[in-house]
Amino acid sequence: MTALVLREGFHAPGINELRWPNLVDLHLFGVDLGINRVVLQMFLVVLVTWGLFFLAFRTPRLVPAGLQNVMESVVDFIRTQIVLENIGPEGLRFLPYLTTLFVFIFLGNLGGVLPLIAFPLNSRMAMPTIMAICSLLLFISVGIAQQGFFRYFRTALFPPGVPWPIYILLTPIELVSTFIVRPVTLAIRLLANMIAGHLILSVFFVATGYMLASKNISTLFGVGSLVFSVALVAFELFVAGLQAYVFTILSAVYIAGALEPEH
Amino acid sequence: MSQPEKPGRPDGGSDIVWSILGTLVAGVLAWGGIGWLLDRWLGTSYLVAVGILVGAAGAFYLIIRRYGSG
Repeated sequence: MTALVLREGFHAPGINELRWPNLVDLHLFGVDLGINRVVLQMFLVVLVTWGLFFLAFRTPRLVPAGLQNVMESVVDFIRTQIVLENIGPEGLRFLPYLTTLFVFIFLGNLGGVLPLIAFPLNSRMAMPTIMAICSLLLFISVGIAQQGFFRYFRTALFPPGVPWPIYILLTPIELVSTFIVRPVTLAIRLLANMIAGHLILSVFFVATGYMLASKNISTLFGVGSLVFSVALVAFELFVAGLQAYVFTILSAVYIAGALEPEH
Repeated sequence: MSQPEKPGRPDGGSDIVWSILGTLVAGVLAWGGIGWLLDRWLGTSYLVAVGILVGAAGAFYLIIRRYGSG
């Protein structure tokens, strides 16, 4: 293996690190529904998300212990830090959605630093896109249900208290900002963080292996690179949690904005 | 967990930062897009630049109205 690496020379990992071949080919109406590693990992994350909550709250005890303790603190964190802080008590009905969102995104991101998996689920565009569309549809429905169709779009597109000619200038901006930029940035922020993290880890680990195996002065740098790789894994772990938190808190902020129009 | 009566934002108000950034991007995109479409329609080439400036100005106006006083 070592000799092979040395003979082949160093190949920096690139965007191809994110492509996986289909394990099962499946085409339906001309759409590629093939199952590859990413799809399998998605099923796994869904299963683990469900399993964590099921096992934790299957036989709830008054004094929580073990897994129930952990999952209760996750729910409590979303409840106090995200829902009550940003929406208020009337936002508690969105607690199940936001908690599931947070846990699912976090476990998906976590794949990037877990050995054997070593791939962040949310570095594929489809995952953050679908979740961003869910949040978009949710806050639009909440706004329409809370304020009525016309009133919601009137307050969303025509900010109150400006002379009417200004609306010609502001309404296109509000339209793009609320219904396009919000979901797009939500998805791209998560996606870009995960792609970047995965590429950095790949480059560092491949380069560390290459330099350690080279048996010349580079080996010295390989040791430094190894230390840095470990630090980067810790950093990516932090990013995995942070991005799950940011996605969830922004979804909550958008729901809050739809619940009560700005004054 | 003991909380002060008005807990400080743990994220340092990052949602406001994102909202401001989003409005700026939206302003440039919306009016830049309108300018680009007008350019294609009228066969000119400067309206996209005018649109970007108008959009940025409009976004600034919105941001200052919304967050300026507080």
